[in-house]
Amino acid sequence: MLDLFHLVLQIAVILVAARIVGFLFQKIHQPQVMGEMVAGILLGPSLVGWLAPGVSAALFPPASLGYLNALSQVGLVVFMFVVGLALNPSELHGFGHAAVLTSHVSIVAPFCLGGLAAMYLYPRLSDDSVTFTHFALFMGAAMSITAFPVLARILSERGLVRSRLGTLAIACAAVDDVTGWCILAYIVVLVRMTHAARPAWVTIAGSILYVLIMLSVVRRIMPAFEREFRKRGGLSDNLIAVIVVLVLASALTTEWLGIHLLFGAFLMGAIMPKSPEFTRYLLHKFESVTVVLLLPLFFAFTGLRTRIGVGGGRAIWFYCAIVILVAITGKLGGSMFAARLAGMPWREAASLGILMNTRGLMELVILNVGLDIGVISPAMFSIMVLMALVTTFMTTPLLEWVYPTRLFRAQADEIHKSVA
Amino acid sequence: MLLVGVPVLGLLGILEAGRGISAPLSIAGDWTLEFDPAAHCANGPAGLRQPALSISQSGTEVLITVNDGRATALEATVDGVTLTAKSLTATISGKPGERLLEGHMHFDGCAPVAFRAVRQASQKRGA
Repeated sequence: MLDLFHLVLQIAVILVAARIVGFLFQKIHQPQVMGEMVAGILLGPSLVGWLAPGVSAALFPPASLGYLNALSQVGLVVFMFVVGLALNPSELHGFGHAAVLTSHVSIVAPFCLGGLAAMYLYPRLSDDSVTFTHFALFMGAAMSITAFPVLARILSERGLVRSRLGTLAIACAAVDDVTGWCILAYIVVLVRMTHAARPAWVTIAGSILYVLIMLSVVRRIMPAFEREFRKRGGLSDNLIAVIVVLVLASALTTEWLGIHLLFGAFLMGAIMPKSPEFTRYLLHKFESVTVVLLLPLFFAFTGLRTRIGVGGGRAIWFYCAIVILVAITGKLGGSMFAARLAGMPWREAASLGILMNTRGLMELVILNVGLDIGVISPAMFSIMVLMALVTTFMTTPLLEWVYPTRLFRAQADEIHKSVA
Repeated sequence: MLLVGVPVLGLLGILEAGRGISAPLSIAGDWTLEFDPAAHCANGPAGLRQPALSISQSGTEVLITVNDGRATALEATVDGVTLTAKSLTATISGKPGERLLEGHMHFDGCAPVAFRAVRQASQKRGA
């Protein structure tokens, strides 16, 4: 039975914690979302559950977590739609060799190193219900992801969005995200097919048919929303509801096919018309409730599943160090090396590597999918969450160190003068 | 081409080499226990509700939560086919989908009680 008192109390506590920690993180020049992610972890067994187990048990009784999870999943569906909406394929054109090479290497290098790390971690942190292939592929996908939304926010806060470095980073991150989600979809299908009663051909043929319908039929209907927006300067509540229903229908289709409901929401966002005004309007409509209310619930639910430093002894910290080292070497090192080979100066190449290493909440989304389908164990989940936090946290200070704001502004001024 | 092709080949090599690596036996999930009917223990099996054990596993490290009304947590390890905790020892047998636990549980004031446990279908790990 729904315990409304507990649910409302949980939401209130989570929102207060997210806003306070988010505010404190902004004070140390970190994106607000970084603080919100940390707030979620602090509410779980890693801090509150460890310091005050009674309070934690009273506030988050196991029986009540199903509702919190349901709400956070709804939030994720809308969030993935927003991520797809913000993705503009036209931004990928015109970057030539540097973007193509960097984006490919920034996926392949961490993927390969993740697979290598899996050889060591599989016998220690997994079990025989998961095959090595599934475990290694998941590790590779999780290592190669870049948090497109967090990256965009960091670039925006530093005024780098319209710079060569910023646009290149966004283009590469977009390619990485799309590739990462495709690889993850493949892994989810592989894992679910092992246990599912549905024949494999239904999932494969259904997925191909679904993508074809989305790209060739639904995509052609979507401009009607944009035309209405241009005609009336906005969309009526009924039309917004139609868009929500389409997002949910797409999500339900991919869930039924066995891929995962998040892919459907993401693809729906990706095929929406991309004129800046229309995108801004829809982002404004969908983002506030998602970012302020629903995403903190997802962070808290993630935090409740994360047990940093609880059990496992010193070996866990050693595994954690390996995962963080592999993640940084593969993503930061791989991207930097590729950008340098493509002719970028060292400083810009290093900055691009640092930006691509931002994993943020996209990593948390992927890790939760991995834990839900059982491809990673709770300890592996906690280690990877810590890796996501470390790689996201290090971005801003490292970027300031390698490419200080004053230096970037001085270079931008020089370019303006030479153009004038 | 070389920068992408070589790591992809490397990954294929890793996946091939990894097929030979074995992981600890999976016992994560909820387990229904059947106790030896001949055992007499006033504070023991009768106080448990089914599923009597909820197991969370990360490699060889295992956390067992006993459904005794107090959610007693037991840290345990899997070593080969043996599951060992402070008040429980068991042998793991069967394929991953049909896994069984057979062993003894210790209850206060009683001799160890033999049990046989069956894992409930479609268990997921987490939380």
